Amino acid sequence: MTTLLYTHPICQEHDTGYGHPECAARLTAILGALKTAPFAALEWREAPSATVEQLTRIHTPAHVERTLARIPKHGYHAIDGDTIVSPHSGEAALRAAGAVCAAVDAILRGEADNAFCAVRPPGHHAEPNQAMGFCLFDNAAIGAAHARAAHGLERVAVIDFDVHHGNGTQTAFEHDPAYLYISTHQAYIYPGTGRRDERGVGNIVNVPLLANSGSTDLRQAWARDIEPALRQFKPQFILISAGFDAHRMDPLAELDFTEDDYRWLTERIAAIATEFCRGRIASVLEGGYNLPALAASAVAHVKALMAATSGLAKPDPEDANGRAP
Amino acid sequence: MYEFLQYQVRDAMTADPIAISPRAKLREAESLFEARDFNGVPVVDEKRHLIGMLTKLDFLDAFRLGSRAIAPHYDEIMEQLVETAMDSSPASVEPQLPLSRLLQKLVEMRVKSLPVVENGRLVGIISHQDVLKALRRATLQHEIPAHEGSRS
Repeated sequence: MTTLLYTHPICQEHDTGYGHPECAARLTAILGALKTAPFAALEWREAPSATVEQLTRIHTPAHVERTLARIPKHGYHAIDGDTIVSPHSGEAALRAAGAVCAAVDAILRGEADNAFCAVRPPGHHAEPNQAMGFCLFDNAAIGAAHARAAHGLERVAVIDFDVHHGNGTQTAFEHDPAYLYISTHQAYIYPGTGRRDERGVGNIVNVPLLANSGSTDLRQAWARDIEPALRQFKPQFILISAGFDAHRMDPLAELDFTEDDYRWLTERIAAIATEFCRGRIASVLEGGYNLPALAASAVAHVKALMAATSGLAKPDPEDANGRAP
Repeated sequence: MYEFLQYQVRDAMTADPIAISPRAKLREAESLFEARDFNGVPVVDEKRHLIGMLTKLDFLDAFRLGSRAIAPHYDEIMEQLVETAMDSSPASVEPQLPLSRLLQKLVEMRVKSLPVVENGRLVGIISHQDVLKALRRATLQHEIPAHEGSRS
């Protein structure tokens, strides 16, 4: 069937200041690549704004009010040293969270199998009551909560392969067994959370990787930790926090993934989604700060999502056995 | 042949070296590294007591990715004080130490230079290059006696 692409021009107006790594050019690079011929079958949709009801399933009303009140009329405001907002940041953040909710709705209404939300600001560091780490609202968590609240799903999984731990998503879900949160990330860098022994109510699976971990380590993590947890949980819907900063060329970390690793990982996730939940996946952009690496990785990810919908990409069973290419 | 064994650190070190204050900024330390091609600079108080050592590696370490910010705040780090980045319990040597033992230390510790301290006060610094020079001096002036079994 179909893969949807949600985005909105305002997401490129979220200006973080000169030289900031989380910049509009990231989206320009991804969207430019997704406008080429191999992606002709992608169905582009405009991201709506999230409602306060959708946001406050994850965030406190005070956080939503405070964050929107901090958006300056001119210039910039630094929420913290990393997290800079400017006049269009509020609307961009609302559209980013709204994109994921709309993707969840469209997929659960049967209009598409899966979706990629090319939006910014990213979300997974945003705590229920605190913006941080480039993030204002936790887009993936808000989408997961929407699948529960608006569609009555009982088991929703969030897989986060951004190189940083998604502290916000973990905090949002660590007491609620209706959600499974799985994160691979580099140990000992920002934000410092995500140790293996942070397990929530048995619904948090943290797989910290040491600096210089690459393809082989990713495959081991999948086989030992990620796939067993997903199989046991039997998700009815999968969200992906798709950060591409574990790429070997990314300036903000030291993992050694390649774009082909993102193809491989997306195929594995899609196979699980096909087995347990009719292939339902909503993926949302998180980090990724080397523009060519980001675009190539997002291309590999979206290609694998599209291939999963056509049923053409039957994953090679040998390739699933944890072998590096 | 064995003249090198007669040398002490004081014979080869650079005496009264340039040092920096713990309250100087990293930006100032960088200027010093750039102007003087030092690999490390001793950190001293007003009485020239050695209280630390700042190497280029210590300097770089201040800019590493860490858990406090998603990206280092490079400009702000340049304004940090030297004392926040220095090694505050630096290894040092006495001026009387045989140079052969100093050579051992440099190799074993894999450091490029060591401060020389007498009664707590910084009196010198000794680097790879200083020891290289001493080795040349100790070996160049003398003919090497042919030993049994040598071909010449």
